[in-house]
Amino acid sequence: MLNYVWIALVLIGVLTAAGSDIYDASTDRYRNGEPFELQFDSTSSNSGRVFYTREYYDAFYGVSIESPDTLVFPASIGGNSLKITTGDSSPELWKTIAKTDDKSDQITAKVQSRKGESMAILLPTTSLVKTKAVLDAVISYSEMGVKIALGLIGVMAFWLGIMKLADDSGMIKIIARVMKPVMVRVFPDIPPDHPAIGAMIMNMAANMLGLNNAATPLGLKAMDELEKLNPHKGTASNAMITFLVINTAGLTLIPATAIAVRAALGSKDPTIILLTSFFGAGLATIAGITAARILQRLKVYRIKETVGETNDGRNPG
Amino acid sequence: MIRETLESLSIIAIPLIVALFVAYAAKKKVPVYESFVAGAKGGFDVAVKIIPYLVAMLVAIGIFRASGAMEMLVTALSPVARLIGMPPEALPMALLRPLSGSGSLGLMADIMKKYGPDSFIGILVSTMYGSSETTFYVLAVYFGAVNIYRTRHAVAAGLIADFVGMLGALFICRILLG
Repeated sequence: MLNYVWIALVLIGVLTAAGSDIYDASTDRYRNGEPFELQFDSTSSNSGRVFYTREYYDAFYGVSIESPDTLVFPASIGGNSLKITTGDSSPELWKTIAKTDDKSDQITAKVQSRKGESMAILLPTTSLVKTKAVLDAVISYSEMGVKIALGLIGVMAFWLGIMKLADDSGMIKIIARVMKPVMVRVFPDIPPDHPAIGAMIMNMAANMLGLNNAATPLGLKAMDELEKLNPHKGTASNAMITFLVINTAGLTLIPATAIAVRAALGSKDPTIILLTSFFGAGLATIAGITAARILQRLKVYRIKETVGETNDGRNPG
Repeated sequence: MIRETLESLSIIAIPLIVALFVAYAAKKKVPVYESFVAGAKGGFDVAVKIIPYLVAMLVAIGIFRASGAMEMLVTALSPVARLIGMPPEALPMALLRPLSGSGSLGLMADIMKKYGPDSFIGILVSTMYGSSETTFYVLAVYFGAVNIYRTRHAVAAGLIADFVGMLGALFICRILLG
């Protein structure tokens, strides 16, 4: 299934980008090569601001944008090149032109003619916007993958060290024993006193307390233990998938990130979401475990060897 | 009150667990330092092992997001969202949450900046963010660490959980906030 998701993401992405670039080119969305007229209001010899009316913009690009009647941008001039700085509230097209031009919020335009305050400029030729964005994404996301992985080394080493300690001392088994009644139900394939159980409990506890830094290393340790019990290398076991779904559902007592963002944006009650997200994630967890239970019996998801052993495909398990 | 208790609990949890584990190991006469180092050795290997899986997953998601396909999907699904009572402004959040952690975090902040964190949409999107984890990231990292590439029903079950989580978030916000 992950194969198909991967193919879909890549192909839909590339084709959408190509399609939208072809559409932009055929409708001349960026009006490449057409002089744009605006007013330059200088505060010193070479810097100041440029402005034009919304009406003019709408007519020029054949769109209708929501903005004040006059659009104003800081700008500076040098020779016959005009540097215009766009901002968050600038029109979408100009933001895209700036970003595609030199990956900043500046547009470098050529001044064609100038008469007092008014001038006609040529905006940089803009094409293949989405394809360029895809190309950038490939590079920046690859780097991000490595950065995330390498960033894990420290906490990973720390928690693996602590877990080894807990394993050697028998602490993990004690933890597993306490939670046995619940764990045997959720993970019927795993022996109740196996270290995998202890690691999974530690991971879930870390998740509940919102300790993301600890949860991932502990979760990976648990996966490692589950893999030791997995007879089919390279293929996910039922227990692994159940454990993974519990993690993707993200049940936590403290959704710390969301609360922090709410507080930063001046919410009167940042923690109002404690209850609501516990409810949402709780439902997700129950649904996920149930779905995993049901799906693991489906013929397409059964592990190949066991399919061969079953004579009657209609009556699994 | 509950909030303060929870917050202090999450702060003292790690030091407490570490102290407890070390003390118990010492009592059981485990060579504590040696044992810790022996375990910690694996940290680098695990991190390096997940790189190919993480890169594969993130690049595919990056291509998808950069192409603008997401916006089209949002437009296509807006009528469905309205039908179940979800404001269309919150729909991108529901779609992006399983795909990208940093992406959905930025989106949550943007939406709250626009509509206010205490508006219905603001509370809804932050609930959605808190109601799920980044499913595809978890899949890539967890399976990557043990070299598993045949994932069977993991994606399906994970997405079902996400779907129910998003609906649950919408449901509880509607009930509590109208």
